[in-house]
Amino acid sequence: MEITLKLSQPDPAVRAGLAVLLGMTTMRRRLRLGILALFASAIVAHAAETVPPKPDRYFNDYAGVVLPGAAQRFNEQLAQFERETSNQIVVAVWRKMPSQSSIEDFTQRTFQAWQVGQKGRNNGVVFFVFVDDHRMRIQPGYGLEGALPDITCNEIIRDAVAPRFRANDFEGGLAAGIDLIFKAIRGEYKGSGKTVRESGSTQSNPAGLLIFFFVLVIILLAIRASRRLGGYRYTGGGGPFVSGNWGSGSGWSSGGGGFSGFSGGGGSSGGGGASGSW
Amino acid sequence: MKISIFKIGTSVLGLAAIFSLSGCNSYNRLVILEQNVNKKWADVQSVYQRRADLIPNLVNTVAGSANFEKSTLTEVTNARASVGRVQLDPNKAPEDAEQLKKFQAAQGQLSNALSRLLVVSENYPQLRATEAFQNLQAQLEGTENRISVERNNYNSAVQDLNTALERFPTNMLNKMFGFKPRAFFQAETGSEKAPTVNFNFGSPAPAPAATAAPTP
Repeated sequence: MEITLKLSQPDPAVRAGLAVLLGMTTMRRRLRLGILALFASAIVAHAAETVPPKPDRYFNDYAGVVLPGAAQRFNEQLAQFERETSNQIVVAVWRKMPSQSSIEDFTQRTFQAWQVGQKGRNNGVVFFVFVDDHRMRIQPGYGLEGALPDITCNEIIRDAVAPRFRANDFEGGLAAGIDLIFKAIRGEYKGSGKTVRESGSTQSNPAGLLIFFFVLVIILLAIRASRRLGGYRYTGGGGPFVSGNWGSGSGWSSGGGGFSGFSGGGGSSGGGGASGSW
Repeated sequence: MKISIFKIGTSVLGLAAIFSLSGCNSYNRLVILEQNVNKKWADVQSVYQRRADLIPNLVNTVAGSANFEKSTLTEVTNARASVGRVQLDPNKAPEDAEQLKKFQAAQGQLSNALSRLLVVSENYPQLRATEAFQNLQAQLEGTENRISVERNNYNSAVQDLNTALERFPTNMLNKMFGFKPRAFFQAETGSEKAPTVNFNFGSPAPAPAATAAPTP
């Protein structure tokens, strides 16, 4: 799918390159090189739009501006907030924006890739901070645009966060920002008492299902074969083998050790919110 | 002998059934893709409307400020009026590229007028210090961003539909049932827009999938 999309609009440069190649190579090489060039351009295009990988916690201080204890505390606060309200808030603090594009474009792509908020409710918020750029942005998902309108995002940034950041008080600024976002969106939705990660009801693993069916088919074939041979030797082993495999395939979603892990619920954003600097 | 004829008959029937099933499937898929395009088009319309609704308020706020440059204000009002004259059906994505181009041109003119107004407002510190103006500016910026997001979403939905219409089994249906490809928003010309990453082969159609809602 991806590749056909790209192929339908070839780059002029690639086209020019192809034209040169066509002039000097034989038919077979032409084809092969052409295909290679198109693939290469598709890969390059793909690399340009990379977004940061999904975070595994709610509070992500990639810049190291907050003490580990405080980061842990923020993370637990945010996880607890999801349990109570189902709203997912992710905080991401970087040194610099890992992209050449505008802040709004970058945050939009990142929000979509991280899928913050519950599917259907779209009740996620991401608070982006770029320390060395002195830029930040609060971006809500579609479902929180009412509770957290652009004006409120702007006020939070301008009146509560930016003054503290200006005084190099990152912990205080982030605490104030998180607190005000809580205040704005609490009561909009009700939580289930569990985070997405904890309820583990993320999309069923297609690979697991495939393996399950594959194993099932093999066992059925084995049973048939054994019947044809006149014995029941393999049927006894079949049952426990299946259930054992199935069980181990689905039981891995709960997060590890000392912190509450974050899993995106499938939420989506329409680009609302506000950006600010300090 | 009889048996082999019977076998051939059933296999032909089976093949026919498979083909018609896949035909139904593709037809349903096209319907879904088309509805998606129309929905995304409605989203685009609603964010444009949202911006248009902000303008009277903005004009009032700014006009209240002492000796604000009148020409930028009238420009905004005029652009707002010409946007009102180029209305497209909000429930059906346009098939005619020219029509969409006109619509986009009118909206682009309004974008330009608004950004000029914001630039000019830099010269009026008292105005900029007011709560009302700051709120309006935040809303305007948010809305401009929503517009670009929804336009991207619309374009990738159109991309999906148009690609499906050109592909093999579905392209037959498209003639039978009269599905039509839809028009794209063109990339913004000039530098009035914040630079977005161009991973896009230099063609006017925006890149697919990058900002689209994730489709698992």
